[in-house]
Amino acid sequence: MKLWSLWRKREKELEKEIQHHLQMAAAERGERGASRRDAEAAAKREFGNVELVKEVTRDAWGWRWLEDLCDDARFSVRMLLKNPGFTIVAILSLALGIGATTAMFSVVYGVLVNPYPYVNTDRMVHLTVQETRGNPLFINLNGPQLQQLRQAGSLESVAAMQGWNLTTTEGDLPEDVRAAYLTSNSFIFLGVPTLLGRGLLPSDAPEGQDPENVVVLGYQFWQRHYNGDPDIVGKKIQLVHKSYEIIGVARPRFTWGDGEVYLPLKLTADPTRTYFPMTRLKPGVTRAAANAELQSLLEQFAKQTPSHFPEHFHVTLAGLNDHFVERIGGTLYLLLAAVALLLLIGCGNVSILLLARGTARQHELAVRSAIGAGRSRIVRQLLTEALMLSLGGAAIGVAMANNLVKLIVDWLPEFSFPHEAAISINLPVLFFSVGLALLTGIVFGISPALRSARPDLAQVMQANARKTTAGVRGRRTHSILIAGQIALTLLLLAGAGVAMQGFLGMMRVNLGYDPHNTMSVGIPVHDDNYKTWEARGTYFHQLLLKVNEMPEAVSAGISTNATPPNNGWDERFEISGKPAAEEQRARLNFVSAGYFVVLRIPLLQGRIWYESEAMHGANLALINQTLARQYFPNGGAIGSEIRVPALKGEPPLDLSAAGSDGWFQVVGIVGDARNDGLRNPIMPSVYVPYTIMMPVFTQILVRTNVPPLTVLHAVREQIHTVDPDQQSDRDVRDLDGWIKHEPEWEQEHLVATLFAGFGILALVLAATGLYSVISYTVAQRTGEFGIRMALGAMRKDVLLIVFRSAAMSVVAGVLAGVMLTISLNRVFTRWIEGSSLDALVLAGVILLLVITSGLSCFIPARRASSVDPTVALRYE
Amino acid sequence: MKEGYRNRIELLQGTLDLLILQTLLWSAQHGYGISQAIRANSGDLLQVDAGSLYPALHRLEKQKWICADWKISENNQEVKVYRLTAAGRKQLTRERSRWEQISDAIGGVLNPGKKESAS
Repeated sequence: MKLWSLWRKREKELEKEIQHHLQMAAAERGERGASRRDAEAAAKREFGNVELVKEVTRDAWGWRWLEDLCDDARFSVRMLLKNPGFTIVAILSLALGIGATTAMFSVVYGVLVNPYPYVNTDRMVHLTVQETRGNPLFINLNGPQLQQLRQAGSLESVAAMQGWNLTTTEGDLPEDVRAAYLTSNSFIFLGVPTLLGRGLLPSDAPEGQDPENVVVLGYQFWQRHYNGDPDIVGKKIQLVHKSYEIIGVARPRFTWGDGEVYLPLKLTADPTRTYFPMTRLKPGVTRAAANAELQSLLEQFAKQTPSHFPEHFHVTLAGLNDHFVERIGGTLYLLLAAVALLLLIGCGNVSILLLARGTARQHELAVRSAIGAGRSRIVRQLLTEALMLSLGGAAIGVAMANNLVKLIVDWLPEFSFPHEAAISINLPVLFFSVGLALLTGIVFGISPALRSARPDLAQVMQANARKTTAGVRGRRTHSILIAGQIALTLLLLAGAGVAMQGFLGMMRVNLGYDPHNTMSVGIPVHDDNYKTWEARGTYFHQLLLKVNEMPEAVSAGISTNATPPNNGWDERFEISGKPAAEEQRARLNFVSAGYFVVLRIPLLQGRIWYESEAMHGANLALINQTLARQYFPNGGAIGSEIRVPALKGEPPLDLSAAGSDGWFQVVGIVGDARNDGLRNPIMPSVYVPYTIMMPVFTQILVRTNVPPLTVLHAVREQIHTVDPDQQSDRDVRDLDGWIKHEPEWEQEHLVATLFAGFGILALVLAATGLYSVISYTVAQRTGEFGIRMALGAMRKDVLLIVFRSAAMSVVAGVLAGVMLTISLNRVFTRWIEGSSLDALVLAGVILLLVITSGLSCFIPARRASSVDPTVALRYE
Repeated sequence: MKEGYRNRIELLQGTLDLLILQTLLWSAQHGYGISQAIRANSGDLLQVDAGSLYPALHRLEKQKWICADWKISENNQEVKVYRLTAAGRKQLTRERSRWEQISDAIGGVLNPGKKESAS
């Protein structure tokens, strides 16, 4: 705009300058005695062509190209406005493609390209190991081990974190706050400045002293709890009856450890307390070298605290984003590919429209070329038109993308992408979209422009603007474009079919428990409370009783770690008298007897333990059907004994009953319920009384006679009556909600919904393309049809001609699409897990395409067949 | 009129710039004034047509050898007046010496005998 006003100013100045010149020249002639009229005429004659002078002068400005561009743009806009139907269809086709691509790209950019705000993220690594079965495990270390890790030669620096649930003790009910205790070098380690105030500093946790009572607020917590109060720094916050001074507020993207508040951590010498380390490699040190160095160090640690390590492992440091790339990277790229296809289909559409219009404009272009327009000038003009379309499409597309991005972010599996990621339409994404628009403009514009810019002058002029049958070559280009569109649409629809089939299959999976009207309320226990086994057991029992006595509660149970569909600790177990040839693993669950009632998991054999037995910490166990079938194929499970060697508490945090690592008597077999997600087969499961092992956390399951979340507040009040400081997790969901929270559910939901949406859009675009081509050819051949009908062709003959012209490209497109789909099937099965192309889906997709194509042909074909020959022959 | 036309000399490439710069050396001038000055000082022999003059002026302005101000004339009109800049002054010396070299060289070719005295 600024450039434009500058241009206007210079233009005006030039005009003034020339007028002055003419006046001076005329005035001088006037002084010499010429009449006014003669003087003016002579001055003009001497000056020459004013417009020409202006033009050559403007050339000296070096803005000629801009001037041409402006002319072209102005002319293009005029041409586009003259054909609003064409323009709207073209811009919308592009807007859909560009909008969807922009949205997907912003997710890819946010999650995979630039996920973290921290410094030197490329050298930051997670301390992970692979156990014998190849599963990666995060390793936590205790204080002395961390000090030793700091000495490692390949590491530049080490910081550590411990997560803990605190509560605010100010409101009517205690509110849960996720605290991240960070070693005092962490803010320097991460290198992100705070939004307000300062971060934690080494002076906040002096060596050998208790840390200062200071806290840095996470951005979200600051927004939620303090409404973003800008004067918060220096105020106090009460957490579990302790007052902390607020020294700073973190930036929005600083979400390390998903902390809501950050407190200084003091490493203790207590070997049972472990911390989550974060490490940065020295520059130039490869991961392989660091793995080798840390292997021997970690083996040494494993000897000190065997229960914190798997039996056999090798160190494989993982980059910060590796885990997420593995989980969601493929899915995101797949979706990006899908929207790229959509964009291509949109481009195809616009190409078709432009070609059709180019043919209609042949006369105009021929005239322009006859009066001296160069070929490159015409190509430039047509390309400008194409670019105007694509930029218009991009503008609308980006506006739509904003909404789509929000939708996708909502649907992304919650723990499959880094929470630091800023997924939005930001500057790099905008650059991408504009670049994309220019590229698409050239892609769909260049071929029509080149073709139209080469009009056969003699032929076109002679044809006297009479519409003739389009050349064979033009029709072939159309056919190829249509076939290509249909092939790509088929590919997208097949992908959508596969994804939806996979998702629906997962929805139909037999859960083995009844998730409806049930919720799980997580209860984190405070650090210094209920430190003995008896006290904690009684406390949990009281909580259970209190919830159970609510009128809305149908039944209640404790499920320390057993809330399906992904539950239990994965542990090695032994069966008495049956030495194991290979490692036997099962999911170990700590539950109360009511658990099975709440979830309606049937007891198949034997009995469930009594509450009184649980209160004594009796060594009784239930197993699921899978375990019974796998390890007791000939029966005899009941009465046998099993043992989990690693089942031993670590006071003061994890309290276990005496003899918890001893033999447990199997008293019953219960039905199988999903315990390893919705997709994987059910794992062998062992259920033992919750009193056997009580960590600083429990969960109460409650089945209600009303929608469960409506009584959440009442449940919290019940808990409050037992211990006024006892908060519960803020993230409480019903069991249907937890199913929808499973990463595989979220992922398949995302892929299936988006693919279906893209597939439908592609179908609409392809139908529009086909419809435009047929309408256009029909209009071109109106005269021909008139002649045919005058010579005795029937309506159905004309219909047939029209259909036949489309049928070839549709059939070719379907065939190409089927081949493309089959050859890409491997990609589908890889990234849309648990699904592969089946013939039924493919047949359905083909049918859908053929019907849609038929409909898009039928309307213009009917129009063609219903022309009155006399009208058609005169038609011009 | 016909007479004047016949007497016009096509300017050598680049010499118009030199003439403009030289004209502006002593006083600022508007476009018409520059063309009149060149004509007068060349004894009506050199007539610069507008189609060459204005592109040249705008080109020199873009190169920052001359700059333009808007002034109010006697009959209350806005007039674009060009004047030489410091860079233009330097350019003028460069162009002058180049021109002298060329004219010496051409003179030398036309009068081979006087070669020594020319330098």
